Amino acid sequence: MEPLTTEMILVMAMIAIAIFLFIVEWIRVDVVAILMMVTLPLLHLVTPKEAFIGLSSNAVVSIIAVIIIGAGLDKTGLINRIVNPVLRIAGKSEKRVVIAISLTVSGISSFMQNIGAAALFLPAIQRVSKLREIPLGKLLMPIGFSAILGGTITLVGSSPLILLNDLLEPFGLKPFNLFDVTPIGLALVASGIACFVFFGRFILPKGNKEADEEGAQPAEADTLPALQEAYELHTPDDFTDYRDPVTVGDLRRRYLVNVVAITEPPDFKVLSPGQDVQVRSDMDVGVFGPEKNVRRMAEGEGMALKDHIDTFKEDLEDGSSGMVEAVLAPRSALAGKTLNQINLQERYNVTPLAIYHRGETYRAEIGDMILEVGDAIPLYGTWRKIIVLQKEKTLLFSTPEDVELMRPEKAMVAGFWLAVALMMIMVFKIQLSVSLMTGALGMIITRVLSIDEAYQSVDWRTIFLLAGLIPLGIATEKTGAASWIAHAVLNTIGTVSPIMLLTVIGILSTIFTLVISNVGATVLLVPLVVNMAIAAHTDPRMAALVVGLATSNSFMLPTHQVNALYMGPGRYRSVDFMKAGLLISIVFIIVMIGMIYLLYGV
Amino acid sequence: MAIITISRGSYSKGKEVAEKVAARLGYNCISREVLLEASKRFNIPEMKLIRAIHDAPSILDRFQHSKQAYISYIRSALTQRANMDNIVYHGLAGHILLKGVPHVLKVRITVNMKDRIASEMERESIGEKEALALLLKDDHERRKWTKSLYGVDPWDSSLYDLVIRIYKLSVDDAVDFVCQAACRQQFKTTDSSRHIMDDLAIACQVKASLVDHFFDVAVTSEYGNVIIYTKTRERQGQRLKKKVEILKEEIEGINNLEVHAGLPYPPDAV
Repeated sequence: MEPLTTEMILVMAMIAIAIFLFIVEWIRVDVVAILMMVTLPLLHLVTPKEAFIGLSSNAVVSIIAVIIIGAGLDKTGLINRIVNPVLRIAGKSEKRVVIAISLTVSGISSFMQNIGAAALFLPAIQRVSKLREIPLGKLLMPIGFSAILGGTITLVGSSPLILLNDLLEPFGLKPFNLFDVTPIGLALVASGIACFVFFGRFILPKGNKEADEEGAQPAEADTLPALQEAYELHTPDDFTDYRDPVTVGDLRRRYLVNVVAITEPPDFKVLSPGQDVQVRSDMDVGVFGPEKNVRRMAEGEGMALKDHIDTFKEDLEDGSSGMVEAVLAPRSALAGKTLNQINLQERYNVTPLAIYHRGETYRAEIGDMILEVGDAIPLYGTWRKIIVLQKEKTLLFSTPEDVELMRPEKAMVAGFWLAVALMMIMVFKIQLSVSLMTGALGMIITRVLSIDEAYQSVDWRTIFLLAGLIPLGIATEKTGAASWIAHAVLNTIGTVSPIMLLTVIGILSTIFTLVISNVGATVLLVPLVVNMAIAAHTDPRMAALVVGLATSNSFMLPTHQVNALYMGPGRYRSVDFMKAGLLISIVFIIVMIGMIYLLYGV
Repeated sequence: MAIITISRGSYSKGKEVAEKVAARLGYNCISREVLLEASKRFNIPEMKLIRAIHDAPSILDRFQHSKQAYISYIRSALTQRANMDNIVYHGLAGHILLKGVPHVLKVRITVNMKDRIASEMERESIGEKEALALLLKDDHERRKWTKSLYGVDPWDSSLYDLVIRIYKLSVDDAVDFVCQAACRQQFKTTDSSRHIMDDLAIACQVKASLVDHFFDVAVTSEYGNVIIYTKTRERQGQRLKKKVEILKEEIEGINNLEVHAGLPYPPDAV
């Protein structure tokens, strides 16, 4: 074994400092990464060129491209079309929502890049969190981990496994088939999700108060009315028989349900009807309100609540209409007036749903309340009308990102570019970053999203976190520190039983993948462990497989691409990853070794 | 079916009419029970309640607002009974306490003064002059009470659907008329009148629970969506908020409860 050099010690010290800073969080994780980027060349551990190579690396560029593709797909509502049925099956329970989305994401990530699956679903998950009032922190980590675990279901799921057969070739070992790892992968995904279902309460972060202070994102979800959603009802033929006429205003007062669309015979659709519009027999009524109240209304007035929105499908879809929160700006001309006087409904065709006034929510009889500066009014209407209102500048919109026009008409185009990118990767074997960037560019040129929107969708925290850790990996390999550690560990354990050897290889791969990239760890470790296994009379293919799988066991630090991507939006701290990641990592190794033992009888 | 309120002066045979109507229609006849119920529920001596609903508010009462509180209690007890439907109420001010409910038949029974004096003389064994003085005082008190609290004169016939003078018409005639009127379509309980009654009961209950500490609140309810109107903007705000939170749990049928401050009270608020 080669002797320990000064450089090796320096690299190990830098790793220790990085991990230490990740834990104590004196500075944010992405800043730690930038610190590494700068310190390593100063210590002559990497060349200046290598220090910043991360920014142009295949991985980082792929992530930028895939985030843009994800934003494009989300803008056209394509992802929603996948998520909505999943949510419908999941129902209202938080756990079932987590399970359903996790399974979907892990399924998708089993045949495409983990980070791709994770990035594509991020906008949709954020919307689900807002809609169902589930804190984003409770959703993102289980789903992100599932995306990583999903990469172990097939041999093309993650980069280490894709590489594995190539690395086995020089040793003349039999390559693995596409689905050889599937049973192990499925067990890993199942155990990972199970951990969150059973222990989620203990391992997921409880409050995000401190993170809130960073002001990364305002907590909009807290202020939006509880669980309001659009529903469609139908009035029976005898609706108006033997009774006083029922108006839109009556329904609002009686059930606190807002009628946002109504059909007029023969087949007109009226959006945001006025309060005195009568509800007649045999009409479709689109409403917006909490489910409890809508059900109460359906029962009380003898209306039939439809399972899903049918007649107003295009009008009430997320893409064409929705809810925004408007705030009375200082010096607004509307201060001191009431909603009845302003008459938003008739002038702008938007429906005010409630008023937030001095920390209280008012839903009933809001028309007479005198508005003050700072009052917030959630409005429901078509995006077009809301944008008209926004241009008047009497109201500020506190949820501006919602006031973007969705472009459902571009769904086909967006889908086409995704298909092009996937084709380039799978069929023509063009490099990942080039293929994905082609897809992203295609979306921009065909105006699925504008270049500015594309820039905005990319999260710099993610980019620098990943790019900054790449030189650390380079330094570890270049100075020989990695192979020194691997040799040292494997020599120390000496001759042990095959199971023990595989477990040690698993743990070693796990630790390596946390610091070096998973590909780097695989390239470094596979040749090493194959030789070790042959020497210890253990199946070398199994040893290589353990490395290929365990390099996906990257949960304890936010260094895996998926974790880095979700850390910002989920407002996680490194400690959160350590807590949940430790459990998942231990379970991962136990399940992996157990499955290998059961399947291959090592 | 219907709710029948019978307003009357003392010794006006109103009670007799009420009981006979109730017997014929198979309704419940209530008057004093309501007082008893209220006094039990809110822990006030029955005597105090009777005085509150009988005498016009004194100067002192106007400061203490205790009269308003007691009336809220009685109203709450009455509306909850009336909620069960099919009742004849011949206590005080039924027509006012159940204001706004469509299926309430409001009846006033009056009797020739001579007959009233005779009844009073017989019951109390007193002289004619004394009896007259007592009756006049009693009538005066009751008129003053209604006027001071509700601004209407109970002798105003436009407050009632039916005013029957027992003189040429006998008690049984009166019973016939009332029963006939009660069976008319207009007094049938409908879905909407049911809701109005339910909402009145909820609003009265909310008001009764609050009136002790917050005498000047007004309450409306529509389909269980309760709004408490208050003049005070900041003062008392926290205390009221806490109390309201408890009410939400305590009172059945509340769907949504909000406090609106600084707005004019709606005319139909309790």
